[in-house]
Amino acid sequence: MTAARQIRVRVNGEEYDAVVDPRLTLADFLRQELGLTGTHVGCEHGVCGVCNVLVDGRSVRSCLMLAVQVDGLEVETVESLAEGEKLHPIQEAFMDEHGLQCGFCTPGFMMSIKELLDRNPSPGDDEIMDVLGGSICRCTGYTGILRAVHSAAAKMGGGG
Amino acid sequence: MAVDIPNKLEDLPTSSPRHIGRGRRRVEDPALLTGRTEFVDDVDLPRMLHCAILRSPFAHARVSAVDTREAEALPGVVAVVTGEDALRWSHPAQSSPEGWGTHCLPTEKVRFVGEPVAAVAATSRYVAEDAVELITVDYEPLDAVSDPLAASEPGSPLVIEENGTNVMLDRTFTWGEVDEAFASADFVLTERFRWNRMGANPTETFGCVCEWNPLDLSLTVRGSIQSPTNFGLGRAAAFGLPSNKVNIVSHPHGGSFGGKGGTRGTDIACLLSRKADGRPVKWIEDRVEYLTSGGSQAWDRHYEVSLAVKSDGTVTGLAVGLVEDLGATGEGYGAICAAKPLAAFTGPYTIPVARYDLKLVATNKVPSSPLRGMGPPPHFCVLEQMMDLAARRLEMDPAELRRRNFIASDAFPYTIPSGNEYDSGSYEEVLDQALALADYPAMRAEQAKAREEGRLVGIGVASAIEPGVFDWNAYAIVGVPGTGVPEGATVSIDIMGFITVRVGFTLEGQGQYTLVTQLVADYFGTEPEMVRVVYLDTRSAPPSFGPGGSRLGVAITGAVLGACERIRQKACRVVAVLMQTGPENIVLADGKFGIPGVPEAQMTVAEVAGTMLARSDLLPPDVDPRPEATHVWTAPGRTLADDEGRAKSYLTAAQAVHVVKVEIDPETGFVEIQRYCLADDCGTRLNPATVEGQTDGSVAMGIGAALLEEYAFDEDAQPLTTTFMDYLMPTVYEVPEIEKVAVVTPSPFTPLGAKGCGEGAIHTTPAAVLCAVNDALAPLGQMAREVPAAPNRLWKLIREARGSGES
Repeated sequence: MTAARQIRVRVNGEEYDAVVDPRLTLADFLRQELGLTGTHVGCEHGVCGVCNVLVDGRSVRSCLMLAVQVDGLEVETVESLAEGEKLHPIQEAFMDEHGLQCGFCTPGFMMSIKELLDRNPSPGDDEIMDVLGGSICRCTGYTGILRAVHSAAAKMGGGG
Repeated sequence: MAVDIPNKLEDLPTSSPRHIGRGRRRVEDPALLTGRTEFVDDVDLPRMLHCAILRSPFAHARVSAVDTREAEALPGVVAVVTGEDALRWSHPAQSSPEGWGTHCLPTEKVRFVGEPVAAVAATSRYVAEDAVELITVDYEPLDAVSDPLAASEPGSPLVIEENGTNVMLDRTFTWGEVDEAFASADFVLTERFRWNRMGANPTETFGCVCEWNPLDLSLTVRGSIQSPTNFGLGRAAAFGLPSNKVNIVSHPHGGSFGGKGGTRGTDIACLLSRKADGRPVKWIEDRVEYLTSGGSQAWDRHYEVSLAVKSDGTVTGLAVGLVEDLGATGEGYGAICAAKPLAAFTGPYTIPVARYDLKLVATNKVPSSPLRGMGPPPHFCVLEQMMDLAARRLEMDPAELRRRNFIASDAFPYTIPSGNEYDSGSYEEVLDQALALADYPAMRAEQAKAREEGRLVGIGVASAIEPGVFDWNAYAIVGVPGTGVPEGATVSIDIMGFITVRVGFTLEGQGQYTLVTQLVADYFGTEPEMVRVVYLDTRSAPPSFGPGGSRLGVAITGAVLGACERIRQKACRVVAVLMQTGPENIVLADGKFGIPGVPEAQMTVAEVAGTMLARSDLLPPDVDPRPEATHVWTAPGRTLADDEGRAKSYLTAAQAVHVVKVEIDPETGFVEIQRYCLADDCGTRLNPATVEGQTDGSVAMGIGAALLEEYAFDEDAQPLTTTFMDYLMPTVYEVPEIEKVAVVTPSPFTPLGAKGCGEGAIHTTPAAVLCAVNDALAPLGQMAREVPAAPNRLWKLIREARGSGES
């Protein structure tokens, strides 16, 4: 086993210095080392999108990225969305539009939707499909999730 | 004390419900949306170890030696278990049919790829996986059998030698004069179909944390467990423990759909905890494990179906031959999927007689499991293809053929040949609504135009029943005992008037805690914010089964309203004494107990609860002073199954009609769903938004079943679909917009008239989609008889037709 490495990473605005095994995945680092268990793991081979987080503003599969790869970078997880007791507009939209059932895939969906809406507050249907097509939800049939994206875009000031 | 549970909304003690029947925000959501809900993989206990499992690469092999010494020597490894430990400390799994269970680790041989062979508990999953790689196993490969038809033949390799055969069950059930019906039919249609294995695949796999207590020989299992009580009984049997020494703590699950399984992994983690002197052991199944050998796979079926038809379109008989491949053992209870069609064998039709030739066969594949719908979805899929064939033969519109055979709305309660009783329905109205929503004549006109252009456009109109509120008696034919499935709830009002409801099931996605909140808020005329729903583990909960078999919405409504009613009766006695009148004069309405029409003789629920808990001096001497009650609800009127499997089993029968338009690309065989319209009737809708959510998700799963999802194996029973790159889950691209309309025919037999609706559309969707595909193929003289109707299969059919037809 290769020797542990020192990394410095900003997660949800907080700076962490950590010593990690080179083989530790980003998902396991967030969940097990930092206790940020809101990021879930669905397939561990990069297909389902349940584990999506943002790294420097871009969505990544945290199961396919290693913790050592985020050295010097900024990570955002589902725990960063709400401000104290106030939910983020994307969270509000998921609640209002019944965009979730079991809720296991929801953090991953919300993080990729955040990337989308941060980039383009009024995304077109193709752009929305392109983002949602990267994640799997087994409960909702995507109907409520699609509604939630439009509603969140409207809430965040875009056209939706 | 008689407890009357209102079976109509009007009978609630409220002038008009403010919460039931509305799609309000779910109480479950804030924790889920912020990542605070504690799923089982989020559990972290002191001194907890992590399990990894070594699995068989062979479908069938003798295990002659397992060497774990190197693994045990790896730093961080605390315990290693093999078949020897399983033999010493556990019993073979319970199974359906009985006698087809094995130990959780092999004592002589492995019987399917991915079967656990040994397992490690270590200080991290990473170390445990390293250790697994250090275990060496000597296998002597044996011939494997992956085809249930071959497995039924003499001379086939035997999966469980002691049983002397691979045939687990072989019986014919005859309901009525079937031979006569077929002899007197104007024509008889017979077809064969193949439904390939598919599975539940919730986004969260199974996981557990097992803790053996070496002092009092008890067991605690925290896990992503759908049916905690049954799971606990199974573990007690596996370890020879008194059932009250097994505590199951169910964590919110990331979906389940029946396919959570996990009994083997749990038993292995329990053995590891015992070997590690009681340290908790966490086992989280990974996706490859789930796809290869998890509790997902269901409905591996070979059908031969015959339909007896009169020239006016009346269907007079149905005969279904089913050979179902249950895999290596009966531990997954997949057999009940072959039994459940008895609850709705003839679908929404008046078909008066039926026969079921049922053969359950063991092969060297993963033991099969329950799955949303539990067996009727493939049954309805083949029945609906037969209905379409009959319509085509008669040159009758498929919608019209169905209309002619529907059970009339004044014929309920209606007993079907296989014994179950349907509670209510308005099938023609549902059909009319679906056709109107789709603008069916225009849709057919579009199709005709497309056909003229040579395009392969098809329309499917299909109808099916969703049996709701399952009962064990439905599975009597595969050896499952019992009648009645109790569900309990405890409702408590505290001294300030806040209300807590304690239940024995946890979150799974259907929004049941929201439903409980709505019910209590309306019953006691209070706000949802005053109500809190709390989960109890099996050590503390009232009798509970939890979600499954489209039952919990109805069952928990009965339990909660029953408990509320018991509190009301106690409170009325107290209030009567305070108001110096008889309890029969006290009425609860809109949150107040009192004498109707006398404004000064009214007390709020909080005042009554406060009096009961803090003014014993005012209470009648013989009153129970707790504003608290438990009610355990069981479906009324259920009967024991007779020798032919007939019973009043599932309490409710929801019905739906789906109208689907598809186009097949002749170059690729790819099916595009151009419109998806449905009408459904599941009785009173207690929370319309969650009912619709179940429908949307179930349509998506049905589309996956019809077109994409398949667990494929080669002839040596090697699985070929072990990642999400091979096992194709529907994405947003494959699920079209779903247009819906609701018809409401309340059940006369259930709390508030609601029917089971959680499994929902999957009963109808595969049938409707395949009908549409076959309608598109009809001009080519072709028919898809294999599900999923994947592009490669359709492309072949189209090529065959064009090869012979266009030359």
